[in-house]
Amino acid sequence: MEAVLRHLTNILELLAVSQTDRVSEWDRHTALRAFQWAEYCEQLHSRFQSNPAVRSALEAALSDTNRRLRETLPSCSPVMFSELAQCQHMLLVHLLRNPSAPNSVIPMLFPDPKTAAQESQFDQNSLITCKSAFNLLCSTSDGTSSAGLQAEAVVRGTLLGDLLNSLLSRSGNDEYARTLLDSMLHDSAGKPESLYDVIAAALLSPDDETSCVTRRCVLAWLREREGGLSEVCRSLSPGICAVLSRQSPEFKQEYWGVLKQWASCLEFDVLESLWVPTSDEPVTFMKLTDRFKDLLNSGPPLKEETEAELKTLKREAGDFHVKGLCIWTDIIIQLKL
Amino acid sequence: MEAVSETDVQFWMAKAVNWVEATSCSALLDTSRHLGSLRSFLQQVLQGLQQMSSTSEAMKTFPFVGQFLGRLCWNPCVIADERSQRLLLQCLSCLYSAEPMNAVEQKANMWIKNMFCHLISEEEGSVAHATVKHAGLTPKRYHSEALQKLVSLMTEEVIKSCDGLPNTSRCSNGNIHAMSTACAALVTCPQMSPLIGALLKHSMLCGSSCLNQEFIKEVSEALISKMLVLEDEAVVNLWCYSPTCLEGAAVSFLESVLSDHETVTQSLDKHVHDSLLPQASADHCHIFLTVNEIYRSVLTEIDENLAVRALIQVFTVCFLQRRTGQKPQDRLPLRSFFPHVMPSLLTPLLTAPSEVPREAWLDHLSWIRSLLQSVTENEEAGEDVRAYQAVFEAWFLLVQCGYWVDTAVELLVLAAPENAEPLLWLLTFFHHPTNRGHQRSQQTAVAREAWTHLRMLFLTRPPPPRHLSAVKELLSSSLSANLVLHLFSNFTVFSHGPVSIITEITDKVLTEAAVKRRALWILASIRCRLNSATMRDDRVHSRLRTLQDALLQT
Repeated sequence: MEAVLRHLTNILELLAVSQTDRVSEWDRHTALRAFQWAEYCEQLHSRFQSNPAVRSALEAALSDTNRRLRETLPSCSPVMFSELAQCQHMLLVHLLRNPSAPNSVIPMLFPDPKTAAQESQFDQNSLITCKSAFNLLCSTSDGTSSAGLQAEAVVRGTLLGDLLNSLLSRSGNDEYARTLLDSMLHDSAGKPESLYDVIAAALLSPDDETSCVTRRCVLAWLREREGGLSEVCRSLSPGICAVLSRQSPEFKQEYWGVLKQWASCLEFDVLESLWVPTSDEPVTFMKLTDRFKDLLNSGPPLKEETEAELKTLKREAGDFHVKGLCIWTDIIIQLKL
Repeated sequence: MEAVSETDVQFWMAKAVNWVEATSCSALLDTSRHLGSLRSFLQQVLQGLQQMSSTSEAMKTFPFVGQFLGRLCWNPCVIADERSQRLLLQCLSCLYSAEPMNAVEQKANMWIKNMFCHLISEEEGSVAHATVKHAGLTPKRYHSEALQKLVSLMTEEVIKSCDGLPNTSRCSNGNIHAMSTACAALVTCPQMSPLIGALLKHSMLCGSSCLNQEFIKEVSEALISKMLVLEDEAVVNLWCYSPTCLEGAAVSFLESVLSDHETVTQSLDKHVHDSLLPQASADHCHIFLTVNEIYRSVLTEIDENLAVRALIQVFTVCFLQRRTGQKPQDRLPLRSFFPHVMPSLLTPLLTAPSEVPREAWLDHLSWIRSLLQSVTENEEAGEDVRAYQAVFEAWFLLVQCGYWVDTAVELLVLAAPENAEPLLWLLTFFHHPTNRGHQRSQQTAVAREAWTHLRMLFLTRPPPPRHLSAVKELLSSSLSANLVLHLFSNFTVFSHGPVSIITEITDKVLTEAAVKRRALWILASIRCRLNSATMRDDRVHSRLRTLQDALLQT
């Protein structure tokens, strides 16, 4: 294990150096060795990704080395455990982006048909083809799937679901799964809406024992973040939220909670004779009603459950029958229930 | 620079600009329409660049090249097309200077590296970037799996839209056309097969031309060049959808058979079976008719060609085998497959020799002979075009059912002289269907003469030199060469002499390479007939193998 940790440290240093001007000393041979190390690192990742004990040891070593490197080479980005799966790719991108990378090293990275046979590890043709084929098909498909998500989100969500399922089918990986979701959110650069669609698609994966565990884990992750659930529900369309509620009782509970919270932020303005927002939540009475409409349109048993829940809420709030006193009464009137 | 014309440059620059600026659907349509010619233009550019001594010189000679290649690198349709992509990357790598001499070359290097980075990675901050980065897979694997999942999602969508299609008269799904347009660039991508198959199935069910023509063309070309593998059903759907593709497949199969006689003659039936044409023909009469029309016209243009005859014969056998395997209620009447032939000929000829007891072969062949003879006598009496046509159709049916001629020749090897006459007549008619100048009796006489010499040659030990030279002489005459070779080949396989003698005679008689090649085709059709026989004679099979090996070695 000690040797493995030492190797890991070496590779991190290597990745850091590949971003500095010291890379100018590299020759072809050095570069090839570097890629071999990177490949070894990818194997480490695939071997220990779902092994909590070994992984945490590797993660600890990673965070130590990241800290040490940040002190000496502040411009280098830290490496997460999940990124180890793409070590060769990272190295390649570093070399391509680094103006100091020797010009003699670069040509061996090109998918030149003459060298491709010997150094097929650098062959990027199939990656480029699949990637652009994917983009091309996504752009032609008007294909929103039945749940109203774009094809791209559905596919990325299914892949995310597969990853989480495979991790969570072993115990002790809960924390790591959440770290992955955190990292993805962090890398979405403050525009998380598309990621929420992906997460919704991951939640929609077919019902079995593992995907239930996954769903619970994702929901727990959303709950943990301040206002996380509210933000996700606002970002997802009413239709998708209804589909998710139909599929998962846990999501339904959370969604109800969010809807109630939104309702509590509305206040009846007597002069305007309107329900108006009292806080930052940009939810209007109409939007809230629309969300209930989608739940009611989802067929049994969700329709009946929604009706019952609304009536309970109305009763608990005083069972008023005139408008402007209780938001639930007004929603029920608006929905003509 | 001569390699690239100014007009072409202007044309393609304008295209590259339009494809970026135009709305995605029309740009996609136009790109897919021009993919083929774009590839040849990129090839020209690449050749031009390869002749340059430095990047500076290249930039001076082809000032457009940076902007042009750069724009193409942002076009997913061009990049997704494997051949364009390879050319594009080769052009970029050509422009890269391992030892940049000046600022221009340094700048070019940086630009190329950025372009390459753009091609292999996702834009930072995008959901694609975030999800790929932490997917726990190499990007290569992630993108391949993502594509596979997207394809199965879209395939499902297409299959769903097929439901209830036959009831609606027109295809209203514009999305199908858009998908097929996108797929035109993707036909060589292995993950795409299910979607391509589903689109072809959709087109079959909806019965209107809802697919992009470029897509059909690219699929057909990729299938022929074996760069795309589809399920059998999808291939047949393509042939039903587009007669041009069917013709292309039939012609390219014929070409591949004729150009590679060494491997093909060893297992002709397997090759024919793998072409899928016989199976498709049994299910779809029009495919059978089209394929036969093509092979027939080739045969009449080079009527001496034993290879084409062998191919037609084996094709018919495979077709009939497939038909036998069909459920009786699915079988179309045989009459519709052979609309021009006298119905009375169909039963005796389309019955396989394996379905007739060996003892009855001679009678069966005499029956066939008398039927064919009456057709030829009508022609001789009437001399009109219709009668001539009838003879031709009867003869072509005999070519299709050449296994009966082979059976006749096999019987001749050991036949008593009093039984030989109908068999020799069939052999003669097979090789000389026209009776120009009333030569048929003359031809039959030649056949009888060859047969007599061959009997002596293969029955007497050591082989008498007199008969040896007589056979060689008959083989060299252009008039009787194929007929004599046909007889000779059957003697080598079916006579009872020891293998050593047979090989010795073969060595002495078949000396020219061209004659050996023709003999191989005859042996190929014999082998196929034996493969479908009910009883397997190991002695004959091993002798056949020895002969084929001997002819291939020398």
